[in-house]
Amino acid sequence: MELKLHRRTFTKLGILTGASAIILPSCSEVATAPEGGVRLTEDERELMERFAEVYLPTEGTSLKPRSEVPVVDHIERAFGLMDEPILEQVRIGLKLFDYGSVLIGFHLSRFAALSAEQRLDYIRRWENGIAMQRGIVGVLKKLICLGYWQDIEAGRAIGYRGPVSVAGGVVSLGNAPMPERATQEPI
Amino acid sequence: MTDERTAELPSLPVLRVTQPNEIPDSGLRLQADVVIVGSGAAGAVTAYELSRSGAKVVVLEAGPHIPSNRFQEHAPTALETLYEDHGNQLNTTGDLAILQGKCIGGSTVVNAAVCFRAPDQVLRHWASEHGLDNLSSEALAPYFERVEKNLFIHPNEPHEVNYNGRLLIEGAEKIGVPAGPTPRNVKSCALSGHCISGCRTDRKQSMLVTYLPWASQLGATILSGTRAETFEVRNRRITAVQASAIDEDGTKKPVRVEAGLVIIAAGAVQTPLLFQRNEIGNSSGQIGLNFACHPSLAVFGEHENDVYAWVGATITAHAGDIENPLKGGYLLEAGMVGPVVTSAWIDGGIGRDFVDFMQRSKKFQAAVTLIHDHNVGRVYLDGDRKQIEYDIDDRDFESVREALRGAARMYFAAGARRVYLPVTRRTTIDRESDIDSVINGLRNGKHMYRLTSYHPQGTMRMGADPAKSVVGPDGRCHDLDNVYVPDASLFPSSLLVNPQLTVYGMASYISDRILARA
Ligand SMILES: Cc1cc2nc3c(=O)[nH]c(=O)nc-3n(C[C@H](O)[C@H](O)[C@H](O)COP(=O)(O)OP(=O)(O)OC[C@H]3O[C@@H](n4cnc5c(N)ncnc54)[C@H](O)[C@@H]3O)c2cc1C
Repeated sequence: MELKLHRRTFTKLGILTGASAIILPSCSEVATAPEGGVRLTEDERELMERFAEVYLPTEGTSLKPRSEVPVVDHIERAFGLMDEPILEQVRIGLKLFDYGSVLIGFHLSRFAALSAEQRLDYIRRWENGIAMQRGIVGVLKKLICLGYWQDIEAGRAIGYRGPVSVAGGVVSLGNAPMPERATQEPI
Repeated sequence: MTDERTAELPSLPVLRVTQPNEIPDSGLRLQADVVIVGSGAAGAVTAYELSRSGAKVVVLEAGPHIPSNRFQEHAPTALETLYEDHGNQLNTTGDLAILQGKCIGGSTVVNAAVCFRAPDQVLRHWASEHGLDNLSSEALAPYFERVEKNLFIHPNEPHEVNYNGRLLIEGAEKIGVPAGPTPRNVKSCALSGHCISGCRTDRKQSMLVTYLPWASQLGATILSGTRAETFEVRNRRITAVQASAIDEDGTKKPVRVEAGLVIIAAGAVQTPLLFQRNEIGNSSGQIGLNFACHPSLAVFGEHENDVYAWVGATITAHAGDIENPLKGGYLLEAGMVGPVVTSAWIDGGIGRDFVDFMQRSKKFQAAVTLIHDHNVGRVYLDGDRKQIEYDIDDRDFESVREALRGAARMYFAAGARRVYLPVTRRTTIDRESDIDSVINGLRNGKHMYRLTSYHPQGTMRMGADPAKSVVGPDGRCHDLDNVYVPDASLFPSSLLVNPQLTVYGMASYISDRILARA
């Protein structure tokens, strides 16, 4: 999974927008789960939900309804597995995306507050944007995919079998026997 | 801990691994003839070969010991438990996932089992450019043969080549590109398609079920969850390796192994970092440089019929001119892995387009590309953090284009009606006649493609000249008298083909050099 965005890339965006440091909420509001794992903030959860709504609309299709898969919880778990510096960069990226609609997207509200049509339009603009924008939108897509498609039933709905060996009763061959070798001498 | 499965299979060699929770809080001090850092392809082969000669061997492995009966056949779980950085290891740009195993058995546990010998053209290049006349195809042949026999390496049998593989061969043959069933280290493949999540039924002959149990049976001590950190150095020799074993509850326990011979086989990212952290062995200034990684892309071709590319062996067939890697050669390997990976490999669009793409994924033929990339990357420490600097070089982007063009031509020749490219926003070729215009329109750049590397190499370059290389022709560090590096970091240039067999062969060869010198 590609989840990292380079610090220098963000610095470049800082130059681009100028105002970002003032308008973006402080990163220190990041919530930490009591057991040492990572908690998504309310903003992050909302961003993921709103992104997933337009990116992966399952209603009226044969896919497993997104509402039945804990997509955002899965993403929260993935956050807990990231190294601190990577996580920090991902979080900054998500904020830039969410608030970028105010800064550079010519909308007056956060991404999460835009209409579905505006959100689609916004994602497309970032897909066609500079490297940093392409990178951030790519991270969001991958997070949603990781969160949704790791559900085994979601995979089965498109014909994927999921785990097979236990269900199929396939036995283990165990460790391989030690090879017989005539000599210990170097070749 | 003894592998839980062995009770059911008593006649087979047993893998005994000491876990951090078995080590007292005060730590462990060991003395051995040989200490080996890393239990992957190179570490395991060396452990067995040296144990065979009667040496007392200790293996230190940073990752956990996960017996195969705990593998879940679920890619996200495997990434979390068996891979370096839980699958989040990236280049500094952030657009290339660099996958490596981190567990007992290393990357061999999660690899796709493809086995090719290093192409003759590459070995000849190593001889002419790096003074490695000792590594001709002929000289390495007996080592490759030994490993091929030990690991049951053979071309896929007809029943192991699924529809996806047959489509690749058919398309390749129609346009005159060499193709065939892929050789793999698998015994009686159960066709689960879950190689990269670990083989639950031990058909893949990874180090976890072969060389490591054999070494263990011969007396080698193997420690999991134990990361080598510091070298004690005296008179051009590493005299002891200090490591930390980390318990499940986070308790750090010191481990110190004193040994006459030191083998560093931590893989092409961690091996140079260990040397850099300890500031040794770098009179050439080459440690960490020359990183290559076979940046890989997936290509899908949509058919009228269902293909179910994920049903069957993970990699079934290949196409490409693997004998000519230096002339822009590429390799395509037919394979597809579940929906998490499918959706990460190719951008299927947004909204209804994306849903439609995933619903049609059973109709896709799929393959991944490999190219012979130049050694333009660098691995280094930024404070205490590893950095892997690597972006696709413009010269290599030409090979990427050729690989994508080749795939598209093969797919259309095999009857595909649309080809999906690994661009970061949905990009398709809808007609055969559009192949050139679409491919020629692709540009090299950051965050443009869905890139993955499975094959990091080259950061401890082998060569005859100590001024230009880190490791000598026999695998011994030029600057250190008792330290050998047998892992993928020593390749002076990238292979094009999947590297594991070359690592096994080279590690066997280097073990023989060690024994001959002893
Ligand atoms: C998903 C995937 C698919 C692949 N598919 C194929 C394929 O089909 N065919 C093929 O030929 N190759 C394949 N490869 C690559 C192949 O497995 C590697 O090239 C090969 O295993 C490299 O061997 P190595 O000994 O250099 O490193 P590894 O096998 O990676 O072993 C290095 C070990 O060292 C350990 N380590 C690192 N640092 C320390 C430390 N400080 N202390 C202790 N231990 C440490 C690591 O945890 C790891 O277990 C694949 C790799 C991946 C990740």
